[in-house]
Amino acid sequence: MLIYRGLSRISRISKKTPFGRRWLPSHPLLSGASHSAAAAAADSSVKVLGCREAYSWSLPALHGIRHQIHHQSSSVIEEQLDPFSLVADELSILAKRLRSMVVAEVPKLASAAEYFFKMGVEGKRFRPTVLLLMATALNVRVPEPLHDGVEDALATELRTRQQCIAEITEMIHVASLLHDDVLDDADTRRGIGSLNFVMGNKLAVLAGDFLLSRACVALASLKNTEVVTLLATVVEHLVTGETMQMTTSSDQRCSMDYYMQKTYYKTASLISNSCKAIALLAGQTAEVAILAFDYGKNLGLAYQLIDDVLDFTGTSASLGKGSLSDIRHGIITAPILFAMEEFPQLRTVVEQGFEDSSNVDIALEYLGKSRGIQKTRELAVKHANLAAAAIDSLPENNDEDVTKSRRALLDLTHRVITRNK
Amino acid sequence: MVIAEVPKLASAAEYFFKMGVEGKRFRPTVLLLMATALNVRVPEPLHDGVEDASATELRTRQQCIAEITEMIHVASLLHDDVLDDADTRRGIGSLNFVMGNKLAVLAGDFLLSRACVALASLKNTEVVTLLATVVEHLVTGETMQMTTSSDQRCSMDYYMQKTYYKTASLISNSCKAIALLAGQTAEVAILAFDYGKNLGLAYQLIDDVLDFTGTSASLGKGSLSDIRHGIITAPILFAMEEFPQLRTVVEQGFEDSSNVDIALEYLGKSRGIQKTRELAVKHANLAAAAIDSLPENNDEDVTKSRRALLDLTHRVITRNK
Repeated sequence: MLIYRGLSRISRISKKTPFGRRWLPSHPLLSGASHSAAAAAADSSVKVLGCREAYSWSLPALHGIRHQIHHQSSSVIEEQLDPFSLVADELSILAKRLRSMVVAEVPKLASAAEYFFKMGVEGKRFRPTVLLLMATALNVRVPEPLHDGVEDALATELRTRQQCIAEITEMIHVASLLHDDVLDDADTRRGIGSLNFVMGNKLAVLAGDFLLSRACVALASLKNTEVVTLLATVVEHLVTGETMQMTTSSDQRCSMDYYMQKTYYKTASLISNSCKAIALLAGQTAEVAILAFDYGKNLGLAYQLIDDVLDFTGTSASLGKGSLSDIRHGIITAPILFAMEEFPQLRTVVEQGFEDSSNVDIALEYLGKSRGIQKTRELAVKHANLAAAAIDSLPENNDEDVTKSRRALLDLTHRVITRNK
Repeated sequence: MVIAEVPKLASAAEYFFKMGVEGKRFRPTVLLLMATALNVRVPEPLHDGVEDASATELRTRQQCIAEITEMIHVASLLHDDVLDDADTRRGIGSLNFVMGNKLAVLAGDFLLSRACVALASLKNTEVVTLLATVVEHLVTGETMQMTTSSDQRCSMDYYMQKTYYKTASLISNSCKAIALLAGQTAEVAILAFDYGKNLGLAYQLIDDVLDFTGTSASLGKGSLSDIRHGIITAPILFAMEEFPQLRTVVEQGFEDSSNVDIALEYLGKSRGIQKTRELAVKHANLAAAAIDSLPENNDEDVTKSRRALLDLTHRVITRNK
């Protein structure tokens, strides 16, 4: 099966490793995407692991790259694999449950807590999508109704528990958003007024606490102390990351290591640890749990790095069309950090701060001259590849749903890199 | 690591641990006494190898409950102090206001997250549920206080419910958690819960009285901070039952301090203070009854602790500051 994608986007280079896929971005910003590389791909021996590997991003020559397609139903041929649509139905069930889980006695608290779970404002639901896909990818069948009595009951129960992880993850995430907006004096979030702006700081703080407590209760109901510990640690990481961001010394602000650590805490920890929790609930081995963790972590990091780039580039390939909100808030992200490595003078500007918007312009100038954007993208690609590698390392499984989900997870590693908004 | 990097955060978090309000370390005291009262020996050092090891471990876990309880309590204090924009218009410097809010939110989150991790480490999901519910109650109680309708403000039932959420839930549920960790039966766990709940309610009711009477037996020598903040407490609620006209004053609010004087007048004429004390005594007695209902135990430490818990039910009533 071939999934034919826009040629301008990606050409694939595969190496002769068990993990056949490596993405080398041929983004307009990055010159050097070589067509010869794609030709080389034609010779590659892409091994098809148990997964129905049939990505072919290459160019004209479709020959030779289609290989062992593990018999699959014809539906696979037309299927434009959309990770989000694979789990769309389940997600609406989750969304409904989530809304009922955050109902509160006190009306104002109820409106506050539900604020971001209302229809249309749920955000991209990226995390729950990943988690549900991961649950299937780790060989838990989405249970068929009215089948096989006991066996499906167990499968159903496990699935419910894994869905619960997705719900808990969303509650923790939204709680942290509510508090972060208070910390940032933010006016808007997800296109609507931020809660603190609309209902006051105190209510936003209380609503965040409320969501957190509901998440804790839901967590406890799973009766799995390792899972409880994992997600409790996430809460601590979120706070640590936010604190790191707010209270950096000058040296720390200019340090890539510090930045990556902070990014792990703030962005990747939630998804990595919840992926791991999914694996643990499924009774998987420690090794598989670690693979799930690695997937989440690298996906999260890749996501954030591209986020950093987009803040500069926006929907345009060129600099300065983005919202520039990070730099205006004095948050130094990967592109600038890379640029500082090439242009030490930039550090002086950074240390002066960016309340003066002429400093923003100066910084953008240096950034444009540097390879900061490109290097950030390259780093994102590296992490996306690591995420893909984790999926490839999962134990073989021929089940149709499993392989579909794994493909979807791989597709996500591609999407986080290529998205432009 | 975080503390070293963020001195300000540390001072914020520690500030409330140092604060010398009465009842400082009150909760941990109750919890440690409860732990002993439920027949967990304070382990002797260098004794009896294995037996004391598991007793020690249990004690440590129960101490952990006390620590978690304090963290949750302080976190809620910090978050309760977050101000809304409206408060800046009363002349609070905007920079302090902003930094104050941020620090309050962050420090509270920090404490909550530490409490979460500590809770998880106990590996007891029922305990996790209990204390997570406490956080929910604290939030609910504070929100109830912030967002009352006129009818609710004048309702004794609403007030008692709010008081349970804001004050008594923490100590009742942590007492119950102590019992559960000790492997006690559900009945004993409920007795521990009842003790904590009634003690907490008695404590708050006397607190309400003292806000009016201060260290003197007469009215108006207290700080009057509740009423000045528009918070209607038990004495006023009782007074309103006797003098319905007082309700009109209450509805007008107390930004005008002459209204405060009028309310105090009504209060003085009413039996509001006495009735509140009586209610406090009733709850203190219920707390004492819970201790008396505990399964008999002749161990010296156990009986000492139970006497101490009974003594506390007396002290919460008779304290005058």
